[in-house]
Amino acid sequence: MNNLDTLPKKKILSLFMTCGFPTLNHSKKIFNEMLSHQPDIIEFGLPFSDPMADGPIIQEANKLALRSKLSTQQSLNLIKELNKSKNNTSFVIMCYLNTVRKFGLNKFIKNIKSIVDGIIIVDLPFEEEDAIKKSLSKNNIHLIKLISPMTDKKRSQKLLKNSKGFIYYISATGITGSNKLDYKEINKNVKSIKKMSSVPVLVGFGIKSKKDVIDISKKTNADGVIIGSALIQKYFNLKKDFNKYLKSLKKFIQEVKIKK
Amino acid sequence: MKKYKQPSTIGRFGEFGGMYVSETLMPLLLNLDKYYKKIQKDKKFKKELNDLFKNYVGRPSSLHYAKNLSKYINGPKVYFKRDELNHTGAHKINNCLGQILLAKKMGKTRIIAETGAGQHGVATATVCALFGLPCYIYMGSKDIERQKPNVFRMKLLGATIIPVKSGSKSLKDAMNEALRDWIKNVRDTFYIIGSTAGPHPYPKMVRDFQSVIGKEAREQILKVEKKLPDYLIACVGGGSNAMGLFYPFLNDKNVKIIGVEAAGKGAKTEETAATMTSGTPGILHGSYSYVLQDNDGQIKEAHSISAGLDYPGVGPEHSYLKDIKRVKYFGITDKEALEAFQTCSRLEGIIPALEPSHALAYLIKAFKNKHKNKVVILNLCGRGDKDLFTAARAIGIDADE
Repeated sequence: MNNLDTLPKKKILSLFMTCGFPTLNHSKKIFNEMLSHQPDIIEFGLPFSDPMADGPIIQEANKLALRSKLSTQQSLNLIKELNKSKNNTSFVIMCYLNTVRKFGLNKFIKNIKSIVDGIIIVDLPFEEEDAIKKSLSKNNIHLIKLISPMTDKKRSQKLLKNSKGFIYYISATGITGSNKLDYKEINKNVKSIKKMSSVPVLVGFGIKSKKDVIDISKKTNADGVIIGSALIQKYFNLKKDFNKYLKSLKKFIQEVKIKK
Repeated sequence: MKKYKQPSTIGRFGEFGGMYVSETLMPLLLNLDKYYKKIQKDKKFKKELNDLFKNYVGRPSSLHYAKNLSKYINGPKVYFKRDELNHTGAHKINNCLGQILLAKKMGKTRIIAETGAGQHGVATATVCALFGLPCYIYMGSKDIERQKPNVFRMKLLGATIIPVKSGSKSLKDAMNEALRDWIKNVRDTFYIIGSTAGPHPYPKMVRDFQSVIGKEAREQILKVEKKLPDYLIACVGGGSNAMGLFYPFLNDKNVKIIGVEAAGKGAKTEETAATMTSGTPGILHGSYSYVLQDNDGQIKEAHSISAGLDYPGVGPEHSYLKDIKRVKYFGITDKEALEAFQTCSRLEGIIPALEPSHALAYLIKAFKNKHKNKVVILNLCGRGDKDLFTAARAIGIDADE
């Protein structure tokens, strides 16, 4: 059973958070808080020293997590120890390829099997994915595809063939946490993706507030949103006061969890 | 021996190389690859580039018989391929001219680049001035501090310098930031990568543009020595000057080839940049190659006195050449490089950059009283003006006097 196969039809909410941020113990509290709101998806970012597709906020989160020498095994244990069974939340890992490679693909899969529903490997392009995709699908883990505004129709068709779970549409030609949302362009591209694939399309990059979430749902054809940087940013806004941060996180998640 | 033919159409040198980037960049790289293939057959492009090489850069660079150094070593006859005589003082300009012509053909209107020692930054700023394009250079704040003369040169040439304060504040982090800029500005921006690193097609493209070094050296040595050299020696950071010299000789199986990495305080210490001696295969900046990393695949910080070699990765073609044993790689410490820096200055009247000083140090160390009657070509890929303050501090001379 893969939770991603039973995602709701509309207004899907996916929350991204870096594992081990700001420390391993604090991170456990954060994920428990997130899980208690039963979002449709939680994305677990595995920290990497050189996150070249991420913006300054997630970079900083990676840095803080790695400062305490967080290992890949510790991140995976953190995910395993969360009590997922009570609800339908899908677990998705987002990481860079070197992390998986160095840990060992088979060992990695063994660790996350039947707990994690999907994986996004940011720097693994379609051209290089075959072997990994095969191993993942044998273990019922979906390899989630990213589509950017630069991906043309011909390429999208190749990428989206047999896609599973959901499609991550990168809303701005930018890195995570950019600030401009162009609803017209998003709508146009999401529509074109939906013609090629039947799995839900989620819009990520640059979604910061309840208003953004509602606008995406009203002004575009997308099936949901991914929020990442905005969740982490608050920690820095609150001058790294963890208790205040946890409270504001709770409030923010309640806000962005709009009625289906 | 089978004729050397790398990389594959998808940018693989054996198992190394490839394109490990996010989907925001993939379409761009594929497009770049397409254009690059097109201009390779374009005679007008070739002519334009050759004219610039000749009249703007001052190519061919000379092949100088380093008589005094040869006598000092008491071993082989040493020739310097003098790419430090190029306009802007290093080999970097060869590649920048090639890439900016390509950028023009692709209709790009904004240029970005990363730089470590500042040589690639200066070369990029130079070609941008020549072609009238705005230029943004990402440079680690640590490198800005140790390469002040080059920072001033870039500013003078009209470039905007963007200091990078993340990570180790040097070349690796500058490249991360430049890649982020490119993702953000994909439509109008061309990223001029300065080394044979990064995702395909860069390692191939940079090698091809730099291979003018080896082509010239081959002709020149055949003219004076009536034979091919016995050895080639070049320093390797990302590896562009080395690939430029090595590439046209790869099929000559009697030519032994040596790459010299920066071992910093020692290849077995934590403060090193000797990627192929101390590293393991991994993925950094879009390509699979040897890299300095820990057990979890986190990239380590490199260390070298030479900013141009201070990089925890290496071009994928070097990894391949190491694994098939076509090229041998050795490490040279900061201290050894500094000594060679002084030896070369005194003996030949040529102040080398700290990067080729590593190659010089290896030559002096390994060839002393050996290999008589042999011929060596060493790529003197940059001049030392930019390093005067760093070197003075390290040697203990007061440069202000």
